[in-house]
Amino acid sequence: MGLLSVAGVVAGYSAADEILKGVDLDVEAGEIVAIIGPNGAGKSTLLKTVAGLLRPKAGTIALGGQRIDGRPAREISTLGLAFVPQEANVFARMSVAENLEMGGYVDPRGAKHKIAALLERFPMLAEKRRQAARTLSGGQRQILAMAMALMVEPRILLLDEPSAGLSPVAAEQLFATIRAINREGVAIAMVEQNAHEALAIAHRAFILVDGRNSRSGAGAALAADPEVKRLFLGA
Amino acid sequence: MTEIAQLVLNGIIAGTILAVPAIGITAIYAVLRFPNFAVSSIATMGAFAGYVANVSFGLPAAAAILVGFLLAGLVGVVSDEIVLKPIRRNGLLAAAIASVALTLALENVVRFFFGNDLRSYDLPIARDWRFLGLRIGPQQVENLAIALIAMAAVFLFLAFTRMGKAMRAVADNPMLADIKGINADTVARIVNFAGMGLAGIGGMLIGLDTSIDPLTGFRAILSIFAAAVLGGLGSVPGAVVGALTIGIAEELSLLILAPPYRSAVGFVAILLVLTLRPRGILGERAY
Amino acid sequence: MTDYLVAMLTFAALYGLMSLALNLVWGMAGMINLGLVGFFALGGYASALLTHRFGLPIPVGLAAAFLFAGACGVVVALVTARLRGDYLAIVTLGFAEVVRIIASNEIWLTNGTDGISGIPGPLRGEVPPATFNLVYLLIVLAVVAIAFFLLQNLRHSPFGRVLRAIRDDDQVAAVAGKWVIAFKIEAFAISSGMLGLAGALYGHYTSYIAPDAFVPLVTIYIVLALSAGGTGSNLGALCGALLIVFFQEGTRFIAAWAPGLGAVQLAALREIAISATLILILRFRPQGLLPEKLPRLAKR
Repeated sequence: MGLLSVAGVVAGYSAADEILKGVDLDVEAGEIVAIIGPNGAGKSTLLKTVAGLLRPKAGTIALGGQRIDGRPAREISTLGLAFVPQEANVFARMSVAENLEMGGYVDPRGAKHKIAALLERFPMLAEKRRQAARTLSGGQRQILAMAMALMVEPRILLLDEPSAGLSPVAAEQLFATIRAINREGVAIAMVEQNAHEALAIAHRAFILVDGRNSRSGAGAALAADPEVKRLFLGA
Repeated sequence: MTEIAQLVLNGIIAGTILAVPAIGITAIYAVLRFPNFAVSSIATMGAFAGYVANVSFGLPAAAAILVGFLLAGLVGVVSDEIVLKPIRRNGLLAAAIASVALTLALENVVRFFFGNDLRSYDLPIARDWRFLGLRIGPQQVENLAIALIAMAAVFLFLAFTRMGKAMRAVADNPMLADIKGINADTVARIVNFAGMGLAGIGGMLIGLDTSIDPLTGFRAILSIFAAAVLGGLGSVPGAVVGALTIGIAEELSLLILAPPYRSAVGFVAILLVLTLRPRGILGERAY
Repeated sequence: MTDYLVAMLTFAALYGLMSLALNLVWGMAGMINLGLVGFFALGGYASALLTHRFGLPIPVGLAAAFLFAGACGVVVALVTARLRGDYLAIVTLGFAEVVRIIASNEIWLTNGTDGISGIPGPLRGEVPPATFNLVYLLIVLAVVAIAFFLLQNLRHSPFGRVLRAIRDDDQVAAVAGKWVIAFKIEAFAISSGMLGLAGALYGHYTSYIAPDAFVPLVTIYIVLALSAGGTGSNLGALCGALLIVFFQEGTRFIAAWAPGLGAVQLAALREIAISATLILILRFRPQGLLPEKLPRLAKR
């Protein structure tokens, strides 16, 4: 039994459309799983559904053996699953320190301590702790968003295109940070456009096409697969 | 010259008082995203609750105003819970329309019990103070102090308390706030209580200056919304700046306009701001 | 009894005209107008002043009322058309209040709170009052019928389709063309003009207008008429207006079962009942009693 197991999930934004047409996904404790695929394949929709922002119309989602499908986002966030959306993932008009505090809103015990630890870990955030989050650069904002998610000491982190819009250098730093977080035992499921980088750091990967699972397997194996190369790696 | 200085002084006092309900309505807007016109009658209700506490139970004005705050806050929460919240699901503009009906209903509840007569608070008679040729009444100073205390409390609440920060988070990014486990319903209830409570304080402060009747709040509604729009709907510091601007402009308008046109100043200000700088002086939803 | 019925039908027709006007902006274009009574007042004063003070013929007064209120509608819409609906709500509400303040204080023009009396009506004084009332009812009904006919045609014209597209999705409509704002302003102007026309017809009927007649309650009545009838449907707007008059007359009987209350209290209870009804409809039957029948394929 994996940490996160998704089976046969059907979901969409309105009654009529089904973006996910029955998707399976599983993430073991402590691993990095990449979800890649063409635009419109339903990658982000999958994360939103797991995080409780969308209600699945069919299928099951379980976290550590406990069913979470259909429960609201704020309940799911208390169970050790933290979701970092692609956009608007910080409180733009609140300070960096306040953002961290809001990240740990569900469990205020020891918040001061955790904030201090995160600021120590990310010196850039410490430097800007009193500044409004909207003054941060794109890469800094992603780091803040992940730091906010770490405030609840999650077992699994869902990242929606963390490197979107970042410069290659900033993206590089971000992936290093993701790897470092993972080494501390946090499982990571991330949707990425940057399939190269994603497959390079992922233990396993799932390829989604048109709302369905297409392939899955070890990151390195998929990266070496000629068809995957042709379709997603531009080789 | 002294006349203008006197008008500016009056305007600063009036603007500070106006800031209290303007903060209330802008905070409610920041969280719930619709203009709640019920604020006008809830301000009236606060004024009448303070009136009963002051005249029937003999509380001094400063204590009676707390009664006004509590009653107005309570009416704000209950009316939102029963009336407006379910309608918000049918659309925010439907809720705005419903809030006009709600304000009319509440105004008539006051009218039913108190009639249309003008009523005055029981205040100690005091002579105006004079300095540099300017006049200021002790009651005005007390009102100014009450308004400043209320505002300071709001700013401390928003900046330092867990709930205050949660409120700003919901106003800033409701979806992320939901992900982070902030209960939007709780935040809505608290912002309604505090916001409408502030409107109640505002209604009573306006009444302490003159007298009250069932239309006290409605007469102020243009000024209140003008202050909020001027500062950027949803911005609390903006509401303070907007209220001071409106307060001073309304007083200065007396130089060229008849007194009944004071409340038209707010309307003109709204038109000007929306035409020239739609996001308000400080930019929409800035904290 | 006939006189009573004729009077009630006349008021219903006037409400119907205003309700149709609201349906054009709110029902079709999705724009809110909480200052309906302000445009109604503008038309009332415009026509009353021209016909009473300057002795111009009534049709000229009616036309002027339509144009003047419509022009003010253009100004209000110009300021707010680009902004979100909540600003339009605030501006229109404020607009109506400012109109009332001006009407109450520019005594040289409007005779202040005393109002203008002796406004001429067609054939008034030349025929018996009962005949005048009947003739006037026919005139108002004719105006309503014409308005209804034109609006029904408009609904199915390209203009109407664009308006509904704007209502259903501002952004999609905006992408489709930058004329969205022009459409909105046009709809708002026509609607304001119709409200002005209703105000003028009201003045010529009762022969007396004063700021007291132009309180926010009137706006509530009209919103209630349209919401009850069915937002989006012209037929619903008319049925709603009829319901309002029944309702208004019905609430007069509150006095019968609450004998201990004074006049102010009775009036307060009526207004509470009316407001509560609107709230209940918005809550439990937002589509109204006669919901808009959408042409096939129009709704996603």
